[in-house]
Amino acid sequence: MLDFIIGKYNYWIYIILMMIGFYAMIGKKNLVKKIIGMNIFQTAIILFYISTAYKKGGATLPIIVHAHGHSGHTSHAIEASSYINPLPHVLMLTAIVVMVATLGVALAIVLKIYRRYNTLEEDEILKAIK
Amino acid sequence: MKVVNLLVVIITGMVLAYGTMDMPDWGDPNSPANSHVSPQYISDAVEKTATPNIVTAVLADYRGYDTLGEPAVIFSAGMACIFLLRRKRKK
Repeated sequence: MLDFIIGKYNYWIYIILMMIGFYAMIGKKNLVKKIIGMNIFQTAIILFYISTAYKKGGATLPIIVHAHGHSGHTSHAIEASSYINPLPHVLMLTAIVVMVATLGVALAIVLKIYRRYNTLEEDEILKAIK
Repeated sequence: MKVVNLLVVIITGMVLAYGTMDMPDWGDPNSPANSHVSPQYISDAVEKTATPNIVTAVLADYRGYDTLGEPAVIFSAGMACIFLLRRKRKK
């Protein structure tokens, strides 16, 4: 039972974080708070991916030590178990770029809405549209 | 309305938590994500790309076209911001 909790608790932390962001997205009236919720949601997903890269048992960062040896070739074979998985890190670098792009466009749209309706509250905007 | 939102959030969280029962344990070296293709990247990266940092090797060498497309994402986002935020010139 304890092994089960230790093996899975990281996922539960990210689910809690993700649900905080999800609640901010659907429950809050202020548009900027919705965007903050979206950022929390994306950060939870990024943390989840990074956590899958980890390997127990002395794995270090995915940078090969002494890669360029004196003879130009690596003298020792590279063990896959001694370096953590590099692929989630690469994918999350791409995801961070998309995250920044969505944040910028969302803030621009919110600014446009504020200039037109002079408010950021969702119910007041809906009232002004009708 | 707040109760409905909270209910939706809690139900979604419980469904996701139920989904974690099938996920591999944290830090498992033999999990599918760590055992399928990533060992080949780790063992071949230095030989094929001469880059000690595997993240850099995958980002800029194996997935070079993907990284080349990323400026398109940034550029379209910047263009969208400019077109949304510019004001009409007063005549």
